[in-house]
Amino acid sequence: MCVSTNELKEKIIESLRLQDVTPEQIEDEAPLFGTGLGLDSIDALELVVMLEKHYGIVIKDIEEGRPAFRSVRTLAEFIEAKQPAK
Amino acid sequence: MASAMALDGGRFPVVTGMGIVAAPGFGIEEVWRAIEAGKCGLSPMKLFESPRYGQVLAGEVRHDLKQLGAPLRGSRSDRLGWLAARQAIESSKINLRDYADRAGVLLGASVGGSFDCERFLTALIKQGKMRARPTRFHECDSAIQIITDDFGLYGPSMAVATACSSGALAIATAADLIMTGEADVMLAGGADSLSRMTWGGFHSLLLVDSVGCRPFDANRAGMSLGEGAAVLVIEAEEVARSRGATILARLTGWGASCDAHHATAPHPQGAGAAAAMQSALRRAGLEPGAIDYVNAHGTGTRDNDVAEASALKSVFGERVPPVSSTKRFFGHSLAASGAIEAAVCIEALRRGQMPANIGFNTVDPAIGIEPVKEMKPASLTHVMSNSFGFGGNNVVLIFSQPESPASTRPIQTKPVAVNGIGVIGPGVVVNRQIEPPLLPDTLPAHSCGTLVGAEALSPNQRRRLNRLVQMALIAARGSHSPHNGAERVAIAMGTGMGCLEEGAVFIENLISKDEREPMPARFPGSVHNAPAAQIAIDLQARGLNSAPTMGEISFECALWQAMNQLWADEADCAVAGAVDELNKYVLGIGKRWGQWTEQTRPGEGAAAANLALAEKSRDPLAKITAIHLGRYRRPFEAIREADWIASRIDLQSVDVVLSGAGGMTELEPMYEAVISQLSERAGKTLEHQNYKQICGEFHAASAFGFSKAIELLQHGKRAVLLYTLSLRGGKAMTLVER
Repeated sequence: MCVSTNELKEKIIESLRLQDVTPEQIEDEAPLFGTGLGLDSIDALELVVMLEKHYGIVIKDIEEGRPAFRSVRTLAEFIEAKQPAK
Repeated sequence: MASAMALDGGRFPVVTGMGIVAAPGFGIEEVWRAIEAGKCGLSPMKLFESPRYGQVLAGEVRHDLKQLGAPLRGSRSDRLGWLAARQAIESSKINLRDYADRAGVLLGASVGGSFDCERFLTALIKQGKMRARPTRFHECDSAIQIITDDFGLYGPSMAVATACSSGALAIATAADLIMTGEADVMLAGGADSLSRMTWGGFHSLLLVDSVGCRPFDANRAGMSLGEGAAVLVIEAEEVARSRGATILARLTGWGASCDAHHATAPHPQGAGAAAAMQSALRRAGLEPGAIDYVNAHGTGTRDNDVAEASALKSVFGERVPPVSSTKRFFGHSLAASGAIEAAVCIEALRRGQMPANIGFNTVDPAIGIEPVKEMKPASLTHVMSNSFGFGGNNVVLIFSQPESPASTRPIQTKPVAVNGIGVIGPGVVVNRQIEPPLLPDTLPAHSCGTLVGAEALSPNQRRRLNRLVQMALIAARGSHSPHNGAERVAIAMGTGMGCLEEGAVFIENLISKDEREPMPARFPGSVHNAPAAQIAIDLQARGLNSAPTMGEISFECALWQAMNQLWADEADCAVAGAVDELNKYVLGIGKRWGQWTEQTRPGEGAAAANLALAEKSRDPLAKITAIHLGRYRRPFEAIREADWIASRIDLQSVDVVLSGAGGMTELEPMYEAVISQLSERAGKTLEHQNYKQICGEFHAASAFGFSKAIELLQHGKRAVLLYTLSLRGGKAMTLVER
């Protein structure tokens, strides 16, 4: 299956309790951490929980998730590669 | 005369006894046998059911606490602390009755009664059963009450909750109380039990190594949790010498700092850790080269060990002393770990042995330090113990041989100026400009509702920080006068209940979802020092960062700690305050255990004062000329309490006494009796005002009372006495003058 980036953005906003941010404002390629949305390491952990809850992907080492958390695009690709076959 | 001074020993703190209960054993002998054998203290956690992490190793205390003689009341943390305290008293052979009013307890605590309250929540969530008794012991100062009651201690006492550095901070603060002459003898240490909260919390942060921690190893993958307690008997040297006590070690140096960097991650280069080590060395009057051994914080997480190694290199240069982390013997017992490792350091000094860093195999190039691999005999004179915690909270202790000369810098108490004040209460937010009326006589509601002043916080602060932390931030910002651009800023923000709601939501979620879908962002927000840590980040305050928790006198404990940093020349400026919030959990505990009556009106809020030495302040709002802490006896003795106050200040000069009975049945007549005694002695009727009629009942309310005192001084009063009693037996007096 193909992961909808729009749906993914909604889930990011929900899990990180981002205020006054709409999915349209998040660009697929824009960095999620540091600049961009200005997220930090604790947000990354919330994304780990989100990935397990919605996509069944378990991350035990944050280093494993780090490349995936660069942008919405990389996260979507990571989910597609990791998601258990349905 | 120098020789007479050396004989008397003066106020230098010395250790004369210690008690320990932890995974490797009960008592330092049993613990040391495990250390000599290099025996890992970790095993699969059995204390409670963990659906998701049941096989993970932890440093659990296997002894039956009841069989060891622990009291039946109190939380598991309280009982661990009590056992260590009793053992410490026994080993020091001190008769505490001789020092009752000059002896107190200082305990580091982080989870407090969490483990016990979680059983209550589990029964409620899973079976719908209401067994509320454990909630009585939820607060961290419950241990203080149980220990002081049982051993008859009436001197200054407090619990400090700065996460993983708490135990070390408790020992440092006890040393401060002795150096300033506020106490002669202190029981000081830390106690923490394992809990679902910290178990689920550290797992949610992906910081736990399931096969056990491997500090400083290239393949390390996180920490191991543990539990336990350690307590030291610390005395002024002159007191110990006069009773012929055996001195185990000197506490020669202690230093505290804050990274002011992040809620959980250490500063990458360990800048704060290095500052705390340097501060401890300066206080002890020692060069880095004098340190023979360092007991590292060494948790085994990737970030801690790299940052700590970097800090060690920046302090010691090319010649880093032998280092070991003893976390794999004990697990990381959070608030207890600093105290446990202090006991390890003292025993290492006594035996001339350096404990091994078990769990280490391979040097990590990013660390570049090879720790002590096997226990080694060594001639040790000065040893250092590092403890670092959430919120970038760093405390370092230095212990030395009893016969080594003490050159610890003395502490001189002095008047302290209040240069700014910030308050947030129901419908009110105030900053430095004291324009009448500062505080309205009645407030529209007792909840702060939508926080006035929150709009000035950054989007990330509003998103991430809970209500309690936001209130503390608003008060601290309000107090921080712009001209106070001091380099060394200390923060002490007390709280009675802490972030109870954040913690409860986190635990309820863990229990109801069997540890799935945890809430990692809420975990760091649930520690008692979250407000203090966030203030430090906001104000870039890198001095001491403390969160005392002591019921109704939490504010005064914070005030004392902050003033002490100024006296000790460890800070140029300090922000002291207290914060508590109103929510359904606080209401539940207050209604059940807080002696609330029909008249009690629950409230919430925060207040903070910006402080500097009076001699260095121009045009202050007011001066604090006396502050004292202690505990009252039961049954209450009004005459004795009035003596306690009258012997410390000039009652004639006092215009108003501010107290906070709040409609509680037990405290109301106690306040009345003492104040009427004081009036009699002053030969005039002292005006008595109860600030809780304005702000409502909450633990941090005396911070609000303090701001009321400043207001009264601004409006013509010359001296105001703030007198506070806590339901758990604490007392505090603060004299504020124009």
